[in-house]
Amino acid sequence: MSTQTALNTFVKETGGWVASQLEACTRCGLCAEACHFYQATGVPEYAPVWKVDLLRRTYQQRFTLSGKFKLALGIDKPVSDQDLLDWSKYVYEACTVCNKCSMVCPMGIDLGTLIHDVRAGMAAADLVPADLKAAVELQLKEGSPLGVTDDVFDDRLEWVGDDWEVDMPLDKKGAETLVVFSSIEIMKFPQNLAAIAEILNAAGENWTLSSKAREVVNFGYYEGSRENTVIFLRRILDHAVELGVKRVVVTECGHAYDALRWTAYNITDVPKDLEITHITHLLAEYVSSGRIKLKEGSLNGGTITFHDACKIQRKGGHIQEPRQVLKVLAPDSFKEMTPNKEEAICCGGGGGVIAIKEADPNRYAAFELKIEQLENVGAKTVVMACSNCRLQFTDCVQHFDLDVKVAGLAQLVADALIE
Amino acid sequence: MNWNAFLEFTRGQLFNVALLFFIGGMVYRLVRVILLGWKRDRVPPAGSKLGGVVKTYLKGFLIWPFVPWVKRTFSRNQVMYLAGGLFHLGLFATILLGTPHMLVWKSLLGFGWPTLPLPIVDWLAAVAIAAMITLLINRRVNPVLKLISGPAEFFNWLFVFLPMVTGYIMTHHLWFPYEVLFSLHMLSVDVLLIWIPMSRISHFIFYFFSRTIHGTEFGKRAVNP
Amino acid sequence: MNEETIYQYLKKKGASRRDFLKLCGTLVGAMGLFRSPLEGSDLLDPTIFESNTIQKIAHALENKPRVPVIWLEFQDCAGCSEALTRSQSPSLIDLVLNTISVEYHETLTAAAGFQAEANKEAIMQAYHGQYVLVVEGSIPTAGNGAYCTVGGRSALELLTEAAEGAAAIIATGNCAAFGGLPKANPNPTGAKGVWEIITDKPVVNIPGCPAIPEVFTGTLAHFVVFGSLPNLDDLNRPMTFYGKTIHDRCLRRPFYEEGKFALSFDDQGAKEGWCLYKLGCKGPTTYNACASIKWDAGLSFPVQSGHPCLGCSQPDFWDGGGFYQSQSAPLNSPEITAVGAAVGAGVAVGAAMAAGSAAQKKKVEAEEKRSES
Repeated sequence: MSTQTALNTFVKETGGWVASQLEACTRCGLCAEACHFYQATGVPEYAPVWKVDLLRRTYQQRFTLSGKFKLALGIDKPVSDQDLLDWSKYVYEACTVCNKCSMVCPMGIDLGTLIHDVRAGMAAADLVPADLKAAVELQLKEGSPLGVTDDVFDDRLEWVGDDWEVDMPLDKKGAETLVVFSSIEIMKFPQNLAAIAEILNAAGENWTLSSKAREVVNFGYYEGSRENTVIFLRRILDHAVELGVKRVVVTECGHAYDALRWTAYNITDVPKDLEITHITHLLAEYVSSGRIKLKEGSLNGGTITFHDACKIQRKGGHIQEPRQVLKVLAPDSFKEMTPNKEEAICCGGGGGVIAIKEADPNRYAAFELKIEQLENVGAKTVVMACSNCRLQFTDCVQHFDLDVKVAGLAQLVADALIE
Repeated sequence: MNWNAFLEFTRGQLFNVALLFFIGGMVYRLVRVILLGWKRDRVPPAGSKLGGVVKTYLKGFLIWPFVPWVKRTFSRNQVMYLAGGLFHLGLFATILLGTPHMLVWKSLLGFGWPTLPLPIVDWLAAVAIAAMITLLINRRVNPVLKLISGPAEFFNWLFVFLPMVTGYIMTHHLWFPYEVLFSLHMLSVDVLLIWIPMSRISHFIFYFFSRTIHGTEFGKRAVNP
Repeated sequence: MNEETIYQYLKKKGASRRDFLKLCGTLVGAMGLFRSPLEGSDLLDPTIFESNTIQKIAHALENKPRVPVIWLEFQDCAGCSEALTRSQSPSLIDLVLNTISVEYHETLTAAAGFQAEANKEAIMQAYHGQYVLVVEGSIPTAGNGAYCTVGGRSALELLTEAAEGAAAIIATGNCAAFGGLPKANPNPTGAKGVWEIITDKPVVNIPGCPAIPEVFTGTLAHFVVFGSLPNLDDLNRPMTFYGKTIHDRCLRRPFYEEGKFALSFDDQGAKEGWCLYKLGCKGPTTYNACASIKWDAGLSFPVQSGHPCLGCSQPDFWDGGGFYQSQSAPLNSPEITAVGAAVGAGVAVGAAMAAGSAAQKKKVEAEEKRSES
């Protein structure tokens, strides 16, 4: 571990964009009111403002007169090894980088991104929690954090294709659309693969999967290492170019979508004419344009609600699309939780939190806020468009023994398809 | 030195020095931050960045301080939320729409504007003072605020509170001769002017940076900021 | 000059006993002892409020000789003397002036030149320790006092000499009290008020431009009757007259409370008699009796007549901001060059810090490259 490396990273990250926001903070503490981890546990150190405090201290001590002055007088302490160890817990185990705090900040500070910058420092100093680190290394080595090697991928595709009787084109030359799944879908929700394939086929999409760009999950983005993030991004982008596709569709994975759609452009070269979009966007487009027909009202009955994923809805912008689809599927029984849409409460498992064993207590505590929401709306089914959320929901429903059905949006659409 | 001379000092030389320090200090901070460099955002937007910025400012200026639009988020801390909004309302009403303050701006800027009658400003100032006391108590009680508050946060509070409370007592001609409170009011204003560039009270400038960034980020993603 | 008492002097001038007692009653009023509108009177010796106050005063005047007064004028306009002699309440002023004997006054003395000076010398010797010294006008101290001389001697010298044997010193008008107009920036003559020069003797300040005649005579009467000086505030002004501000007693005060202000001298607000604060009134910080005694036999005073108070009884009122600029405004705005300098300094320091930050970033990047290779 090297504290200096972390501080160097902070120095590198701190441009006008970061500095002006650090300067704007009034230390009012309102961001804590938005943080599900603070709300659930009451641990004051989980307040977003405190999570970015290392970045703030480094900025002040390195870049400002008053900070240098305070440091010289001993009013302010330099960032210590222990600080980094502590903050490693705060930013990895108690933050899903959901950016809800940014919504309530009176100054509108983009806290999520700043916390991501703190993670970058941690990654540089080799302070990533062991579980997360192991996953990153697995992805670097084998191409997937969940062990989706070439062989496993081929096996899964074959099995899914056979089992659900669906055609899954692989490395198809001349395809327009490249679909990239997350490893969670491949390993834990294989039905999602089949569902999405069915929908795309029904819509007559000229699409393909890639044997090389098969894994959209980006654990480098979770840990905050720019270097690793770029490596994983390039696997997708390079092979998309190789296949000559016009667009890349990210399936139900939040963090990966955030990395590919909203970050890649600023840290690596993305081909200009390559469109990157999310599967929910396609679903809504197919439904509204009539490219696929759904059994209207097929999900009417028990109350069905939609969980907004932080990276797909609040940070991704696909807020209306899932609702358009759900209003076709369950016009009578679809109900919104409060708060919802861009103000939704996070599932508590994103941002790599679910991959870290030590974070389990936090993760379960945060989910209790979600349970309250579900109970308030009386949901029998909760739908989401993010596998990470779905993993968290599935795990927590079991953990808390809830009588709620967890479903992916694509799967519901596939089930309601009229041939 | 008598109060008369002290008053002349605090609204004359000292005020000038404080104002110049304030201007220089704020310029320093702005330049220091702006020259750190800005990377161009190369992400193709899904929505209008400008639209996001406009929306976020409208929310910030018109609605935000009064309507807890972030549903449920402030249900656990409504007092603090309200106090923060009311403090700023009272503060801005007083320093912009109070007659004596407008005349300060007029003397510095060369133009004035209509003001509110004294009783209205007076009530708003009283509300702001009450809000400040609430916020101080909250800062001493709330676990997060206890954690993030150092001496600077309490100095911020004090240096804003003193001009407000001396101004209030002065307006009501209470307890002390007018010029004594006027002097102390000016002295506290001078101290505040010197303190602002060294403290987080400068957020009134950087607010425009972070709000713009917020609007851009959300507008870019076609999400309501 | 003779040793006859004030009563004897008045009798010689044809005043009856009845006239004399009327004078005593008037004096009570002049001193602000009897009628309470003059604030600060409660600070006076409470015994004088007893029913026999007039008798006490009569007793004093029956036994005291007229008080000799030496009146020195330095850097002045004679406005205070003018105000006194042209007062619209001549009965009162005359009566008070009858209790004193003005032995030397550069404007009023019949004698001239060396004769007048010789008389002053004689009085100063004859009544050493008994005469009252009244000073009108400020004293220049720059250039060894060369800016104001009388008979070839500097004001500074004349004042020091006359003050040495004075029983009491009254500085009338803002110039004598606080330096007044001559002291206004940049004060080329080094003008000072009397109390800045004479520090070993009590100096009573009756500031104003001019001093209110009734305030001057009232203070003088106090000395004549009681042989002592009235209670003074921290600027050596009699509390009786300078205990409250113009604002405190102002007839336009209710409009201030309501936030009704005249915005120009001929708008509706001005016609309605609204508060003149926005037009630069210095009433809130000006201590004087204008609003209660008023001028021209109680006819009016500036604020009543529609003009904001200039603050003429306060030190350095000439430099107290524009007369028509509100008091809340800073005394002066920083010079544009000073603002420029501040901005320049801010830019310079900010740029220097930013350069330092950029260097740190470069260093970090260079280090990383080195460790990679």
